[in-house]
Amino acid sequence: MTDKKEQKKFIKKEEINIDYDNIDVADIMDQIKRKIATQPIKAAEGDLKNEAFYSSFGPSPAGPEEPSGTKAKVKKLLLRVMKPFSPLIKVMIFPVHQETQNNFDQTNRRLDLLNEKLEGELGKIHEKLDHLNQATNKRVDLAFEGLNKALEYTKLLHSLSHNIVVELTKLKIEQENLKVKIRIMEKDFEFLGRKEKAIEKEIFK
Amino acid sequence: MKLAFVVQRYGLEISGGAELHCRWVAEHMKKYFEVEVLTTKAFDYITWKDHYPRGEEVINGIPVKRFSVTRTRDPKRFGRIQNYILENEHRLEDELKWLEEEGPYSPSLIKYINEHQNDYDYFIFFSYRYYHSYCGINSLPQKSILVPTAEHDPVIYLKIFKDLFRKPRAIIYNSVEEKNMINSLSQNMDVLGDIIGVGTEIPSQFSSEGFRRKYQIGGDYIIYIGRIDKNKGCHKLFDCFLRFKDEIGSDIKLVLVGSNKLKIPSHSDIAYLGFLSEEDKFSALEGALLLMMPSFYESLSMVTLEAWALRIPVLANARCEVLKGQCMRSNAGLFYENYEEFREALGLLISSPGLCEAMGKNGQEYFRQNYTWEVIENKYLSILDQLEKEK
Repeated sequence: MTDKKEQKKFIKKEEINIDYDNIDVADIMDQIKRKIATQPIKAAEGDLKNEAFYSSFGPSPAGPEEPSGTKAKVKKLLLRVMKPFSPLIKVMIFPVHQETQNNFDQTNRRLDLLNEKLEGELGKIHEKLDHLNQATNKRVDLAFEGLNKALEYTKLLHSLSHNIVVELTKLKIEQENLKVKIRIMEKDFEFLGRKEKAIEKEIFK
Repeated sequence: MKLAFVVQRYGLEISGGAELHCRWVAEHMKKYFEVEVLTTKAFDYITWKDHYPRGEEVINGIPVKRFSVTRTRDPKRFGRIQNYILENEHRLEDELKWLEEEGPYSPSLIKYINEHQNDYDYFIFFSYRYYHSYCGINSLPQKSILVPTAEHDPVIYLKIFKDLFRKPRAIIYNSVEEKNMINSLSQNMDVLGDIIGVGTEIPSQFSSEGFRRKYQIGGDYIIYIGRIDKNKGCHKLFDCFLRFKDEIGSDIKLVLVGSNKLKIPSHSDIAYLGFLSEEDKFSALEGALLLMMPSFYESLSMVTLEAWALRIPVLANARCEVLKGQCMRSNAGLFYENYEEFREALGLLISSPGLCEAMGKNGQEYFRQNYTWEVIENKYLSILDQLEKEK
């Protein structure tokens, strides 16, 4: 009840100066903000409520300040470093009863057996893998041999083709030269023919 | 001059902000020009499913042409796409996919606009964020006027809208804050624009006493009118109001009017009345101590203007720039950013009838100067006149 009376002071208009003939809402809101700023912060419950309300309207106000100094920094650093091991630490600090201990032993023995079996199986798998590897290597060698032969044949064929092209080119040039020579000889022959006819004419005149 | 008002939904029973805004402006422009409405057959704003069977009808003397929504919206799929584009780097195609999914996807409406562009002098598009505005303005920018009804929500930052705001011949803003937001976003200062908003229709007869009798509401009450929805900040209003009651021990009541999409706390001082007729709504508003506006996003808030028209002060969420700006310009409303400010502001208003009276008077004056139909009509005529001169 006293609390409520105390709280009712928040709505006393006397604390806000209002010029009724010339209302200025910005000024009224400034006065309200100033008034809120001067109000004492309430107890923990109120703070929690406030926080919830602040968060609902937007970013919450700054929280309580963290302890400062080297000690606090070291503590903070240690906490951060140890954080990943926290589940293990929790397990380690639990009291271990005999029954639990027996269970642990049984589990460990079972794990050892399983480990041996696993190693045996892994050895067999390794052997099989070695055989497969050798066979594959042989096949790969054969394939490489064939491939090298094919490569050589290809090189030879390429060289042969090249030589044929060179020879054909030479023959073509030779053919052209011979054609030219034939044309020259034809003309010479024609000239000689005309000369022969002219000489015959002179003789039989 | 012949004007086409293009809006996502249209009908007497549709009370959504932009749709009502469009209907009222169209009905007032009818006095000066030949007016037609081009809209969809949808009624439900979530799925846009065809509801109105007739393709053409006359509503309050205005011919209305309705076009089918060929693909309804799948809210889950839409939500997924929206989350993706708001949270990830994306391409322009993704935004267009979002726009198509948002709808109302009515290619026949856009086809009609293209094919009949010579039949109209101007197309006035309402609500920037929907398919009809984007496609309509892009296909016919030289004849487009946009009434964005934009709120400060994240989708306004999509790339497609940045360009859209540069395209129409003119933009009619609802508030200074909306204009500043769009100007800074798209640098479209060279596009002709004016802050106009919308008037309101006050019924000729209403009585707060009659309302109190009818709904058995006694004592002082504050009122919230609108969709009772998380998006409108109603959950925060409930938290603040109940905490205020708990701390202060006031006997003030909270009356809620509108369609409900949220669980309302069960409390003897919270009265939910559902959707009311215009007469009952104004009666309820007239009897209230003040109007609560907890919304985070508003383009104008017509109900705030209605409250001011009736000399009722407003207590608004300061996180909504438009509401805060309107309160400061009018000196007719207080605003809060957190519970402490809510408590002090509400406490002050409850304990000071003189302040409520003075703020109510300021609100009415602000309404008279800026939002009577005479003022609104003249501003529209002035914009159209300027566009005609530029031709």
